Amino acid sequence: MVKMDLNLIIGGPQGGGIETAGLLAVRALAMDGLEVFADREYHSNIKGKHSYSHIRASDKRVRSIKYPVDFVAALDVESIATHYKDLKPGGVLIHDSALLDKSLLKLPPMEKERVERLKAELDANGAGATVKELDEWLQRNGKVVLQYPFSKTIVEKVKLASPSIERAMNTALTTVLLRAAGMTLTKILEAVDSLFIEKAEARELNRAVAGAISDGFDELSGTKKLGTKILGQERPPRGKRMLVAGNDAVAIGKLIGGLRLQTYYPITPAADESFVIEQHAKLLDSEGRAVGSPIVIQAEDEISAICMAIGGALTGVRSATCTSGPGFSLMAEGIGWAGMNEVPVVVTCYQRGGPSTGLPTRHSQSDLLFTINSGHGEFSRIVLASGSHEEALDDAVKCMNLAERYQVPVIHLLDKGIANCVTTVDPPVFGAVERGKRVEKGTGEYLRFAIGDDPVSPRAYLGEELMWYTGDEHDERGHITEDPDTRRRMYEKRMAKREKILKEAPDGDKAVLYGDEGFEDLLVTWGVSTGAAIDALPELRSHGSRVAVLQVRMVEPFPADYISKFILEANNVIGLEANYVGQLAELIGCNTGFRIKSRILKYTGRLITQDEVVDAYMRIKGGEERVVLTGGE
Amino acid sequence: MSTDWNSGVWPDWCPGCGNFGIFTALKGALSELGIMRERIVLVSGIGCSGKIPHFVKVPGVHTLHGRAIPFATGIKASNPELKVIVHGGDGDLLGIGMGHLIAMGRRNPDILVVIHNNGVYGLTKGQASPTLQLGRKTKSLALPNINSAVNPILLGIASGYTFLARSYAYDIEHLKACLKQGISHSGAGILEVIQPCPTWNNLVTMDWVEKNTYRLKDWDPVVKDDEDAVKKAQGIIGLESGERKALGTILVDRRKETFGKRIASIYKNYSTEPPAAQRVEVEGKALPIDLEKTFPRFFIQ
Repeated sequence: MVKMDLNLIIGGPQGGGIETAGLLAVRALAMDGLEVFADREYHSNIKGKHSYSHIRASDKRVRSIKYPVDFVAALDVESIATHYKDLKPGGVLIHDSALLDKSLLKLPPMEKERVERLKAELDANGAGATVKELDEWLQRNGKVVLQYPFSKTIVEKVKLASPSIERAMNTALTTVLLRAAGMTLTKILEAVDSLFIEKAEARELNRAVAGAISDGFDELSGTKKLGTKILGQERPPRGKRMLVAGNDAVAIGKLIGGLRLQTYYPITPAADESFVIEQHAKLLDSEGRAVGSPIVIQAEDEISAICMAIGGALTGVRSATCTSGPGFSLMAEGIGWAGMNEVPVVVTCYQRGGPSTGLPTRHSQSDLLFTINSGHGEFSRIVLASGSHEEALDDAVKCMNLAERYQVPVIHLLDKGIANCVTTVDPPVFGAVERGKRVEKGTGEYLRFAIGDDPVSPRAYLGEELMWYTGDEHDERGHITEDPDTRRRMYEKRMAKREKILKEAPDGDKAVLYGDEGFEDLLVTWGVSTGAAIDALPELRSHGSRVAVLQVRMVEPFPADYISKFILEANNVIGLEANYVGQLAELIGCNTGFRIKSRILKYTGRLITQDEVVDAYMRIKGGEERVVLTGGE
Repeated sequence: MSTDWNSGVWPDWCPGCGNFGIFTALKGALSELGIMRERIVLVSGIGCSGKIPHFVKVPGVHTLHGRAIPFATGIKASNPELKVIVHGGDGDLLGIGMGHLIAMGRRNPDILVVIHNNGVYGLTKGQASPTLQLGRKTKSLALPNINSAVNPILLGIASGYTFLARSYAYDIEHLKACLKQGISHSGAGILEVIQPCPTWNNLVTMDWVEKNTYRLKDWDPVVKDDEDAVKKAQGIIGLESGERKALGTILVDRRKETFGKRIASIYKNYSTEPPAAQRVEVEGKALPIDLEKTFPRFFIQ
């Protein structure tokens, strides 16, 4: 079978159905037996600004996006202006023929600076200032342009009137795109049915639109020259698979892991996780009986959200909250209280661009040092950073178990890249649900914070025994104390958990090495950037490099000994992460004394792509120390 | 009253502190209500009032400044069998914790909030609290207070509380009766306790309280219907704008659904199996959740 790597962009105005268009395309590709990975980029705006889906589909597993792309499907002029240069040689631009006379430089939603940049760019390459002129220029430069009369076809064949046309344009565009790539109408309709499984009216409308557009596509003689029959091959069945965003994956993981109380305050890109949990308030077994019924509470702020979750945890309920950087800032005091009181509570933190509200809807990996240091004073906590959707799901279960096993707050650190990217995953295998150490009945006076050989004291839930909690230093019963000896012993009991956690953590939870043993160069990375590094490996090796990728998964307590082994084995260590400082590289330096000089960094709010990893690695090999990536709009 | 309600921890309040009255009345109320000790949870914030859970022999959760209400809400929502009582000061609940106080009224959980109102921040040495009147200068203040006072009872009405009462820390019998009524009330309650702070507040003294408070008479606090609710609210605004503070039960509205009932109307299993009563594993393994049945839309056919 031919190895296939299809990359496409579907763009349009926010609120124009671009998210649905992307999901339809992703679903169609996944249902066609392909592996998919799709990024969603959008402004912090409800209607009008540029948003797009960057979709990648392949025979083999993909974990990142890549430029240049095979197709750009544009719902509006801004999408053409933004993405025309992302096309590879022979790549196809698709847009409504009604846009031909529009100017590329009179686009009100575009920021002035971008219009200026675009103007300079168009002037420099002599591409003209209208869509028509740009199309001609693209064709002169080896690209294919497919101007398709979407709106006209919808009006004539589906008999839709405005504003319903707008509701159908996204499906029309996606249908042309998929047909141009070689997919049959039958498969597109299957995807439409599956996407709108719970919405009969939308299903019928979208079926009608896809059908009409597809008929028109066959009639259009100009499409013959496309020669892009990428899709439409028979593929072996892949068994049951799921198509999930990172938010979905974590929600499912939390529910498998026994979550029964989720609290949250609305924030992008975390809130979708709570919606998914709310939508599945009944966990069903194979007979359709409810085996669990978690509740979700929308709190008045993040401070309340973390405190409510802690309250729930004190009653023995598996409790969690989810947030992003600004909300996490507010949760710091609650996390400190949970640390002082040895409360098992899980906080899922989806990083986005900071500081402050920064880039609210864009990607970032700049909260690593913040999360591991959040809260004043010192206390044991666990911070796990997932690098893929599978890990996000598995780690969500794991975080619940670790929280109860060690009676510490656990922070599950993710990023917008994982939260909003959609990908295919295998259904998870169910593992252990560990409730941790419980008190035995009838053992006399209960001491919540009993000091023994094990820093983890047996737990009783509120309602079972007499117990006290306080944010102040406390004795074994939980009462306030300022006695220096008790203070020392209680402090040591809490901090001793870090060693215990490190000792008991399986190596795979600490870090994962991708690539051959006997590597010379080591790319050290974490979070969603890992995917781009792994995807880039074959190409790096084809250049003759002996390179491996080390993904760090446990960032607190930091597995310094385990990480050191890999670092000392490498001749060159290169950090790869989406922040300015190189936070993981700094953390490794702090904990191992090894200074990682070479760093590949990105802080534009966009994902690190596979091609960027390749280019940056070559630059590092060429002698650069710090490579800053800027790709993507 | 049985001394069995003492935890054995020495109450470290200043001599003459109003908290001693609240402490005594609380122990009396709990003892007379006959609730199983382990099923009670005292949740407090920060400040002198925040220490009270340590002194009473029932489970206690001494939380963060201003945050007792969210902790209490999480506890109650997870395990509705627990009797949850919040204690906080006027600075704690009406200053840093004001947002949570309002949110609690909107939810109407079955929780009583006891506001220890002494007009100052006691544990940080007497700064002006949100209930100190404009222009007043206690002995600990360098300059007169430049903020107007908030009235917890009026705030309670506006926020949707279904039980409102005011008492006085040294009138143990009256306070005990109010506590019993508030703890037994099904829904969100505020009990404001006027509490002299002999160390920092030289304005609200026992003498002041004698002269500036009165017991409510001929006031029926129970709301009968919507029309009556409006009348009551207007009446309470009248009561609260008087020179002297009314002591007693000011509002009882049993018509509003509690937070627990609201949750149960959405999550049908909640009334029989709240989170704390649900299993999350079978012999150490995850429950047999059928993912395709539970999450159909995430599966690709």
